[in-house]
Amino acid sequence: MDRRNSRRDAEGTSVITANRLLDGRIVWLAADGQWATLIQDAKLFPNSAVEEALKACNARAQEEALVGIYGVQVTETDSGPLPVTSRERIRAGGPSVHPDFTPDWHAPHPAPYA
Amino acid sequence: MPLLENGQIIQDTWQIAVEGESLPTGDVLVPLARLSEGLGRNSDARLGVVLSSADDVETLRDALPRLDVVALTFPVFRDGRPFTQARALREHLHFKGEIRAGGHVLPDQYEFLLRCGVTAIDLPEGADPAVWQRAHEAFTVAYQPSILNEQAEGFAFRRRLA
Amino acid sequence: MSHSPSAALPVGHYAYDDVDRTFLKQRVAQFKDQVERRLSGALTEEEFKPLRLMNGLYLQLHAYMLRVAIPYGVLDAKQMRTLAHIARTYDRDYGHFTTRQNIQFNWIRLEDTPEILNVLADTDMHAIQTSGNCIRNVTADQFAGAAADEVLDPRVYAEILRQWSTLHPEFTFLPRKFKIAISGSQQDRVAARFHDIGLIAREGENGRPVFEVFVGGGLGRTPIIGVRLRDDLPEEDLIAYLEAILRVYNAHGRRDNIYKARIKILVQALGTEEFLNQVNAEFAAMDRARYRLPEATVEAIRARFGAPDFAPAGNAAEKLAAQRKADRAFDAWVHTNTHPHKQPGYCSITVSCKPAGGIPGDVTSAQMDLLADLAERYSFGELRITHLQNVVLGHVRQDALYDVWQSLEKNGLGEANIGFITDIVACPGLDYCALANARSIPIAQKLSSRFANADLQREIGPLRLNISGCINACGHHHAGHIGILGVDKRGEEAFQITLGGSAGDGDASIGQILGSAMSEDETVDAIARIIDTYLSRRTAGERFIETCRRLGTAPFKDAAYATA
Repeated sequence: MDRRNSRRDAEGTSVITANRLLDGRIVWLAADGQWATLIQDAKLFPNSAVEEALKACNARAQEEALVGIYGVQVTETDSGPLPVTSRERIRAGGPSVHPDFTPDWHAPHPAPYA
Repeated sequence: MPLLENGQIIQDTWQIAVEGESLPTGDVLVPLARLSEGLGRNSDARLGVVLSSADDVETLRDALPRLDVVALTFPVFRDGRPFTQARALREHLHFKGEIRAGGHVLPDQYEFLLRCGVTAIDLPEGADPAVWQRAHEAFTVAYQPSILNEQAEGFAFRRRLA
Repeated sequence: MSHSPSAALPVGHYAYDDVDRTFLKQRVAQFKDQVERRLSGALTEEEFKPLRLMNGLYLQLHAYMLRVAIPYGVLDAKQMRTLAHIARTYDRDYGHFTTRQNIQFNWIRLEDTPEILNVLADTDMHAIQTSGNCIRNVTADQFAGAAADEVLDPRVYAEILRQWSTLHPEFTFLPRKFKIAISGSQQDRVAARFHDIGLIAREGENGRPVFEVFVGGGLGRTPIIGVRLRDDLPEEDLIAYLEAILRVYNAHGRRDNIYKARIKILVQALGTEEFLNQVNAEFAAMDRARYRLPEATVEAIRARFGAPDFAPAGNAAEKLAAQRKADRAFDAWVHTNTHPHKQPGYCSITVSCKPAGGIPGDVTSAQMDLLADLAERYSFGELRITHLQNVVLGHVRQDALYDVWQSLEKNGLGEANIGFITDIVACPGLDYCALANARSIPIAQKLSSRFANADLQREIGPLRLNISGCINACGHHHAGHIGILGVDKRGEEAFQITLGGSAGDGDASIGQILGSAMSEDETVDAIARIIDTYLSRRTAGERFIETCRRLGTAPFKDAAYATA
């Protein structure tokens, strides 16, 4: 795993993220234990509790078809958790060069498999 | 450990030398460091050597005529040195005995190993031989010559796989 | 009827037969099986990752990315339409041409991938070995088979190497990726000295080709210019010699540190002489008959390539001259975007995928379809992707240029900027790439807008501007006259400028870092000041790179870091 993914301050707040194995899309661990596509739905963990939460998530990764589970440090804002690094802000919001490709983007014409 | 040879699972009758213990009687695989001890054994039993992926097969040149098995080891499947070791044993040293591959090997590497001169696989316990057989039959053509000297398939370097 | 037997073959690339097609379908079936084993848990993610990478499938920031191989950068109109279809059906209606002459799709789903590979296979395409620690897509001169200065067509040899390296039993789990480039022109347009192996072919004394062999070049974390191992490797030894190089590398390349695992580090560690000794020892010991490349084999492959059936030049040149005189914008485009052809009455066109303010190398599915149409109508159905992320129509009649240009203009592909400062090379950067430290595209867009004025670009003249979002250097920043490298400053993006790099033409050099990293906007301003310095200090007719070499970096550094 990318070493940048485990950079966290001792203090602070984080959310937990992963990619879905089947389609690769980014998901965030929500309070109800489900994996949400919007960071606004992510559950906040104090940094001191992240390692343990990650351990539990990793144990279920195969069963829940997830890969690359790690914690992302955030600041809390009015519009929800905001990652502290630009990398994670781009992951949470979509590529900056395609403002239309937000995490809840849908194809205008559904693909045949949909 | 089960041994996959010519598509069959056979029981491995070879013993592996245990560190700090004297060599057992019977067919034995020794690490490279204990090769001379193995060669000096007063026994009719067969001898093989286990190489790590970092060992140079050239060091076996003199001993090879007295060896029945060379066992290659993948510390992790991504370490591709055993492919070159196997091919060098066949092509440079003209070794005619059994070449085994063990350690962390994937079925997806099986055909490559065979084409480099490996003849048997130390399967991990519980491995499904059907998956390995499927991997062996996945392709009917290869795009380069190998030490197996397969028949040409049309033009260029294409080879027909059995 | 004087129909040549090659009339039905695709122009510019190898024609598959049933054996090749069966192989591709078997490869798809194998991947489908691997995906199923991954989903069942039989393969761990660690085990599956290299297997999917060897089918071009990466897990990037937002989704899977599929890199489709375009061998030696050549594809036909039908294949381009397949790529358009994939963009529309399985992605978000666009694709990205890469610096390795391939195409990437950014929004792929793993569960669709076997089907996508199947669709690709239907038009003889695949994603084999576009990633992973194996021999990658072999790149070649984008003007192969067309350029007036070409000695021989490298594509036949690129195809031989493609086939030989496909699922190579010994070299599929190398210490690290392995890139080969080949050129058939003394004008090195493939950056041969920046590849793991670079080959430059020329005619030998017996009428058969010989190859100059460079090894151990590369960009990335440790940029190194490759060393010459052989000056005149005979054709029949080509495969044997590459086997020997790869064997030494596979046995002795470092596997303990991913950053020191490329062949260039091994060559440096052993020294050129010792490395050469080991290769020669292997070459001498191997069964040479087995790996010999006979003339008949080369000709068998050559016979699978279609050749363009050129028409007489007629008055094409006169007609073009008149059209250029009548339309200044067209004249400017012909000046920058065409390349001399060996056939009288023809030329090669480079279609710019770098519109002002646009994303370098991105094309929509509609643009792909248009390019396919134009190739069919005007260039024998053949297209090429360049390592500078543009598209080439190889063989266009001079009297058809005006029509082609008008179509391109209407569809956002008419930019007259090839070789200029806005013909920017950029990797996908942090907008997409899991490895990136900084975004490459937004800074490319700002620079491209900043210098969009056509007269200004002409005034500045030839200038290669390359941008990488991290030290892996997919944007070849070290090889740019001006390079930009994205770095991570405690979680924020920043950019370093390099100066004086060059990829080819016998004067390969590595760009020097000017100084500490700056923000995106500071970097754009700094580059504008570097350009001003060049314009004020150049001598008559002196190109940017020449001024850099004459003056050194100091005046440019002063300009870059000058604060108002």
